[in-house]
Amino acid sequence: MREFQALPAQPAPVDTVGPIGWMKTNLFSTPINAVVSISIFAFLVYVLPDTIDWLFFSANWVGSTQDVCSAEGAGDGACWVFVSAWMQQFIYGSYPDPELWRVNAALVALGLVIAAPYLLPKHFRNTVGVPLFLLFPFIGAAFLDGRIFGLEYVSTDFWGGFSLNIFLAAASIIIAFPLSFLWALGRRSDMPFVRSVCVILIEFFRGVPVLALFFMGSVMLPLFFPEGVTIDKLLRVWIVLILFMSGYMAEVFRGGFQAIPQGQYEAADSLGLSYWQKTLLIIFPQVIKVSMPNILATFVMLFKNTTFLLIIGIFEILNTTQTALTNSNWLEGHAAEGYIFVGLVFWCCCFGMSMISSNIEKKLDTSHRS
Amino acid sequence: MLKLSSIIAAGLAVGLSFSATAGTLEDVKKRGMLSCGVSSGLAGFSQKDEKGAWSGLDVDVCRAVAAAVLGDESKVQYKPLTAKERFTALQSGEVDLLSRNTTWTHTRDTSLGLNFAGVNYYDGQGFMVSKKLGVKSAMELDGASACIQAGTTTELNMADYFRANGMKYTAVTFDTSDLTRQGFESGRCDVLTSDQSQLYAIRIGLKDPSSAMVLPEVISKEPLGPVVSQGDDAWFNIVRWSMFALIEAEFLGVNSANVDKMKAEGKPGQKRLLGTEGDAGEKLGLSADWAYNIVKQVGNYGESFERNVGMGSPLKIARGLNAQWNQGGILYSPPVR
Repeated sequence: MREFQALPAQPAPVDTVGPIGWMKTNLFSTPINAVVSISIFAFLVYVLPDTIDWLFFSANWVGSTQDVCSAEGAGDGACWVFVSAWMQQFIYGSYPDPELWRVNAALVALGLVIAAPYLLPKHFRNTVGVPLFLLFPFIGAAFLDGRIFGLEYVSTDFWGGFSLNIFLAAASIIIAFPLSFLWALGRRSDMPFVRSVCVILIEFFRGVPVLALFFMGSVMLPLFFPEGVTIDKLLRVWIVLILFMSGYMAEVFRGGFQAIPQGQYEAADSLGLSYWQKTLLIIFPQVIKVSMPNILATFVMLFKNTTFLLIIGIFEILNTTQTALTNSNWLEGHAAEGYIFVGLVFWCCCFGMSMISSNIEKKLDTSHRS
Repeated sequence: MLKLSSIIAAGLAVGLSFSATAGTLEDVKKRGMLSCGVSSGLAGFSQKDEKGAWSGLDVDVCRAVAAAVLGDESKVQYKPLTAKERFTALQSGEVDLLSRNTTWTHTRDTSLGLNFAGVNYYDGQGFMVSKKLGVKSAMELDGASACIQAGTTTELNMADYFRANGMKYTAVTFDTSDLTRQGFESGRCDVLTSDQSQLYAIRIGLKDPSSAMVLPEVISKEPLGPVVSQGDDAWFNIVRWSMFALIEAEFLGVNSANVDKMKAEGKPGQKRLLGTEGDAGEKLGLSADWAYNIVKQVGNYGESFERNVGMGSPLKIARGLNAQWNQGGILYSPPVR
């Protein structure tokens, strides 16, 4: 009896594997796709060489004044000297040189506070990690200010640059977190007064554009104070950001509450837990898990919104760039370089944050999906 | 819990400040700092450098007042303000003095509860044309197309001027001054119009600045000057005379280099200004060497002008209207006596 012998496997046809196969299925699968692919390719060929040349090869990298870029024999590409000369302003604002370590220390501390839940042993998380997290904005602000710690006083007029964007966004979201949770609870409350107050707050801060809120904080608010009382502009802006963020996050949390099955509430009730025990021990952890993707998305939005502060004259990174462009020693048109740099910085940060957020989502994912 | 609330309270206290309302002069002296509202960026007038240091013609007014009141031009807290919030900041007491290229107009002076202490720069709307056009005067611009930044008074002034002179023009409007410049450079229009001080800044941004020229005509009045809150006449006098001291020092030939010599052995007028004779400082509630400090630390008006916007700066603006009255300009300080 003849034994069955399989023929040796043939290699797949050339046009279904490898780069050709990939192109065939992804770029040229239908006539329309083919046309679109070819036109995009043609566009890139048309645009890319000049762009890359402008960005890198003809660019001027070394120097400290714009004369380097306009001198005889200098490249006619981007003038990155503009960015490097202004780098300290872009990152730290006018924070005095000898005190820069404080900004760096605060940035590191912010990183540690965020990483604390991962680093600390489990039983320290709630007793050390969470309070540190919630107190960070106040301690950080006092540290940068310096008076309470006996360091040299640096007024908020000198704070600025990209570090200010980071601090403002972080400090706002940290405080908005518990505040918005309370608002969301209030909105679901049976007590009519609490409920209506929370609904009004949430709808007001969600319904009014953030630019209008900034204007209110910077232009109108000071008129309501008695004469002689002034509240620091940055503090006013910080409060506006917190309230704005709380409005949005409260709705995120409300969505989370609605996703929790009614059975969870009833089970907690039947165990005899009080309202706060039920909320904090049973409901809150599940709400956090469900809402995490939206919370992080909201945070990225807030982080980018901090650039709006330029319209009220706070020296965050975008305003610093525009200021640099009006300096009479840098008038020869460096807008493109400046804005590309700011865009790149924000893209890196936002991309990094979405990486972290998908990581957190995986970590929290104990879902019952199959 | 007590600890928590006290830390939060401390955090809030960092940003909250109360000031007595005895008078701006006393407040400034007690604080040891002058709070001065400036523009967050206007070439030559108020600008930050790479080190975060402020300079400019408007900034020099802040420095002069600080030198007069506190004896040290560096004791200034600069508060960058946008055009919209500048008057509120003054009314609420956030700044003691506003020196932010603010045009002195009737409405602002009479209805906003503030006082203009004088004029430190006479600006006005002007024209920039390409040299190739061969135009020497704005009266030859009939039928020209003009690049204008949209939504500014510039547009209205332009319309008024051309109508008054029976000329026609085509407006090409742009959103920002950067786009306006690019429009001019690419030949979309024959003439670019804006405030004169801005024309010089725009001209630098051209690929070949020497290919364009600013015409001599000025078609609107834009007197820019420092502003204080109404109702504190002592403070108003200090700001006004600090500015006059800058102008008078130039008129009397006193500058930062020769001020020490002039103080000791100058003419009577110079000595009166610098405090060796008379009691000009005392009458303002300041020390006798108030004007000496201004000239020594900031310079006179001419020095300030040349350093920030004139020939010593990239802007290279001619003195024009902003020269002394005996030099063909209209700068005029009442005598110090």
